[in-house]
Amino acid sequence: MWFYIKLAWRNVLRNKRRTIIAGIAIGIGLACLIFYDGLIIGMEDVAIRSATDSFIGEAQIHREGFQSSRDTVLTINQSKEVFKELEADPLVKDYCSRTLAMGMITSPANVNSVMLVGIDPQRERTISKIDDAIKEGNFFSEANPRDIVIGSKLAEILEIGLGDRLVATVSTAHSGDLSQEMFRVSGIYHFSIADMDQGLAFIRLPIAQQMLGLGDQVHEIAIKFNQLKYASQKDIPFWKTFSRHGNEAISWEELLPQLKNIFEMTGTFRYVMAFLLIIVVIFGIINTLFMSLYERLFEFGVLRAVGTRPWGIFKLMLAESGSLGIISAVIGIVISLILTGLVAKTGIDYRGIEFAGTTFNDLLYPVMKIYQFIVYPAGLFVFTLLVGIYPAIVASRMSITDAIRRSL
Amino acid sequence: MNRENNSIIVTEDLKKTYRDNGMEVHAVRGVDLSIGPGEFSAIVGPSGSGKTTLLNIISGLDSPTSGKVWLKGNSLSEMSRRQLSDFRRDQIGFIFQAYNLIPVLTVRENVEYIMMLQGIDKKERHGRVRDILDQVGLQGMETRVPPKLSGGQQQRVAIARAMVSQPALILADEPTANLDSETGSSLIDMMYTLNQKTGMTFLFSTHDPMVMDKAKRVITLKDGQISEDIRKK
Repeated sequence: MWFYIKLAWRNVLRNKRRTIIAGIAIGIGLACLIFYDGLIIGMEDVAIRSATDSFIGEAQIHREGFQSSRDTVLTINQSKEVFKELEADPLVKDYCSRTLAMGMITSPANVNSVMLVGIDPQRERTISKIDDAIKEGNFFSEANPRDIVIGSKLAEILEIGLGDRLVATVSTAHSGDLSQEMFRVSGIYHFSIADMDQGLAFIRLPIAQQMLGLGDQVHEIAIKFNQLKYASQKDIPFWKTFSRHGNEAISWEELLPQLKNIFEMTGTFRYVMAFLLIIVVIFGIINTLFMSLYERLFEFGVLRAVGTRPWGIFKLMLAESGSLGIISAVIGIVISLILTGLVAKTGIDYRGIEFAGTTFNDLLYPVMKIYQFIVYPAGLFVFTLLVGIYPAIVASRMSITDAIRRSL
Repeated sequence: MNRENNSIIVTEDLKKTYRDNGMEVHAVRGVDLSIGPGEFSAIVGPSGSGKTTLLNIISGLDSPTSGKVWLKGNSLSEMSRRQLSDFRRDQIGFIFQAYNLIPVLTVRENVEYIMMLQGIDKKERHGRVRDILDQVGLQGMETRVPPKLSGGQQQRVAIARAMVSQPALILADEPTANLDSETGSSLIDMMYTLNQKTGMTFLFSTHDPMVMDKAKRVITLKDGQISEDIRKK
């Protein structure tokens, strides 16, 4: 077999120009696949980061049933113990607690329903990016307990600006009585997510708890892990630990199912892309191999005439196919490194673009993974071998006299 | 089926008909031929007389429409493709008009290729390649590739390749057609010397008078039939 491999390499390199052109054509296909895969991973990464960093966090703890009902009575059980356990959990980087209640906000000009979110601004900074999204004013930097931070769209609807006053009305948790407080707009944020810019208003946690009559109870704890991957690992003890006492711990995948569905869809696109590229590769290889076969028909005839078995010709042709596959894979890897390297330097600016309910906050960078440079090139090599079977069969079965006649 | 006979080649009522552009062509029409061991024979005749077709059938490259061929007593028609490949590898050496060397292999690799197929070890292969290249006057050219050789040198390599595995029969199809007369003459002389020295059987297909002159037996084909068979002393 080694002889056939040696002969195959020499044959493939005999017509360098054709081999390089074919290799580049096939290699570009491979490079596109690697680059696309890297881009998808980068996009998923940015989308998840944008979604989790903007507000929701990588995981949340609620009282069971709160997530679906938003019933303000459903506060986290044994919250002090939960906080202690969060402090002790090595996987947890930061966390913050919140109250959430639907309410009305009234300005002199208009009224709008909002989700009134009570937060601890210091802790909130470690989880969400509301402070980064502030376009006017500040994020609770003054000591005023009646500061409120609202979205740009809400400010527009209410026709108010910084320093303007507005009234927030909510129902207290247990009695259902209305509770009203006056606030002063200290900051206006802009996330480019319409639902957030219009539907969320942030106040300090103590006043929110007071308005809702919750004491020191909270509805939600948002969590950031040391590594994002923990949010997808359902076998880590975290989920069990914090899904006790009638509480439930859920990851961003459950909080943002639409994002997960989109990722599953892009995963399918990846297969479609791979399939299309494989088709291109198949035709590229078959074309090159048949050109090479018919160009050297007499050589195959001679090899058969002097005693090479059909299986030997089959092996030779397959070795040529494999050699072409290796050359193409190397070219593809080089092109993909260059392409990915270039884009990784500059990034792709999709910031501000809304995607599956979230908005890209960062530049999009293709992410290189080792498997892309092993699995895809290996796949290409295997495919070239599989594709090479057809011309190899043709070569091994051809008539010797027909093949030699060309040279007589 | 074996046929007990001293002949290297025996053909019996050999016929070959093929279709060319819808027309039936009778390339070989009932050839009965017997070639003995050590002969230095030539099949001659004008173009289209069936020389190459006959050689192809004798070597197992092509199959007859009817009739039989025995090579060293073995019936070719009863062999599988694989058996035919092995039989050609071990029993027949080919010399083609256009040399037909593998251009990406060196002289040594071209010559030793058949021995590799036979599974002969490297040391013996290299020794035999050296010997045969000495005999055909190509010593020191082992590492050259065919495109770097003259036509005469390439045909010498082809002769070395055909002979190195010591087959029973060397078939040469118009071996001098692409060579100038001087080179052709020296090659025929060389092949005759090798024939005398080794006792291998040579069968040429040619219309080169120089080859006919050198051959000890001249079989003339006309319209696919043997019209004359002259043995020289």
